[in-house]
Amino acid sequence: MSALPDDAALFERFPGVGLDHDNKGLYRGFLERELRLNRCGACGHWQHPSLPMCPRCWSTDVVATPVSGRGEIYLLTVMHQGPPTPGVDYHSGYAVGSVELIEQRGLRYTSAIRSDGIRPAIGMPVELEWIERSGAPFPVFAARP
Amino acid sequence: MMATVRNPARDAVAFVGVGTTPYLRDAGGKSATALACDAARTAIEDAGVDLADIDGICGSSVPTVSVQAALGLPAVTWWSNSSLPFSLLVIEAMNAVFSGACTTVLVYHSSLRGAGGSKTAAADPFRVHNASDAHGHNAAMTAESPSGTYGYCAWAQRYLDTYGVGRDALGLVAINGRANAARNPHALFREPLSMEQYLGARMIREPLCVLDMDPPVDAGDAFVLTTAERARDLGHRPVLLHAATSGRTDRPFADQLEDYTISGKEIVAWRLWEKSDVALSDVDVFFPYDGFSIMALSWVEAVGYCQPGEAGPFLAKHWSAGENRVLIDGRVPINTHGGSLSEGATQGAGHFREAVTQLRGDAGERQVPGAATALVTPGGFLWNATGFVLRGG
Repeated sequence: MSALPDDAALFERFPGVGLDHDNKGLYRGFLERELRLNRCGACGHWQHPSLPMCPRCWSTDVVATPVSGRGEIYLLTVMHQGPPTPGVDYHSGYAVGSVELIEQRGLRYTSAIRSDGIRPAIGMPVELEWIERSGAPFPVFAARP
Repeated sequence: MMATVRNPARDAVAFVGVGTTPYLRDAGGKSATALACDAARTAIEDAGVDLADIDGICGSSVPTVSVQAALGLPAVTWWSNSSLPFSLLVIEAMNAVFSGACTTVLVYHSSLRGAGGSKTAAADPFRVHNASDAHGHNAAMTAESPSGTYGYCAWAQRYLDTYGVGRDALGLVAINGRANAARNPHALFREPLSMEQYLGARMIREPLCVLDMDPPVDAGDAFVLTTAERARDLGHRPVLLHAATSGRTDRPFADQLEDYTISGKEIVAWRLWEKSDVALSDVDVFFPYDGFSIMALSWVEAVGYCQPGEAGPFLAKHWSAGENRVLIDGRVPINTHGGSLSEGATQGAGHFREAVTQLRGDAGERQVPGAATALVTPGGFLWNATGFVLRGG
């Protein structure tokens, strides 16, 4: 895993994000277009959001590790208004979902769901895609019905 | 392994004072601190206690130092600022009185409508820069943030999908609230609501429309709590905290919750009934939190009225056509003040005010005849579920 950029530069790339030692690996991954979630080096258990201890074995050997980005939509909402967000237009409805990743039951990552005119639905398979937001890559999901 | 359940505080602490401000879309230049102080003043006057008797203070985002200083509470021995919902403050205050950290405590919550709520709100610099506002959209929130509103909307969609329920189940919560709010002069929205109006309302975050989300208000609420012994010497019928609990699982994040039926609300229900001497059938009036309509459905199920997914049919079955509202078994109304959907969004404070008012017998034309036991379940199923049994003393 690349150590670049250094910590100070990481803060500059992600202003407004509450960066800490537990989630810096996730955001470094963004810059290399890899979705890296925290995984226990001792027992292999995944967890998200990024926390410093494995809840299954209490190991602190927790490492930001790439996931496949494949899974299916577990939670879903189509937003018609919401917080101002660069590149987001709510007028035609903006789908956001929590994707249950294939790596582990209950391991979910939440982001935009892009579906090219098809209506997304709970249970629909998705794949990870990367878009640009505020000068940095940002992970979203594309529906693959 | 189940933790041992104890309830030494049963009936030991009472609500003795209630105060509030008007619930308004715009309080016209009042700060959150001013709203807290206005509500606190009316609560203290209602309780009939001297300022020197108040030795505890507990509030939400407005610092207790500000409210204590503004009111001139001369000697306080316990204070706390706590997170919402309001019920968590009630639990803290109850524990402080029961432990002897203080004897008489002022509990308050106030909020200013956030800048994200409307164009006029966004044009008000005091709302844009309101550091104490926990309900508006803060700068770090984006469309994809899995916190705040997201979880309730997304779980609502999964609920409808899982149980094959239509949006009309959610609509019953909103319509029930409006019917009750018609008899509450304090409520923001008092016009009757039809299912057609509900189903045609503006969609905000599917499947929840504008009528599924409680309207932000500028408002304050406050209460005075003290020991049950001292309460008997004061002016009102005491309202006793018979049982109180909060509940949370080890996956307390909106998008990581294990399942709709494995959540804080199940922990609350189990613990609350273990702690309580009364049963669901003893409840005279029920206050399921309805900050989002889905929460009220989930509480109806969790406390034991019906199975998961059945709250919509349950409400329909117990619907009084004549009154256009829920009367469980023809007797038990739900959110007699209109809930926060109709009264205004005060994070559970309004539910407590109405519960206390009903148990005092002071609810006027809203009064539930002979109301002696109230069930109050503030918060939601994600990470802040709480439950209370209150009894008239």
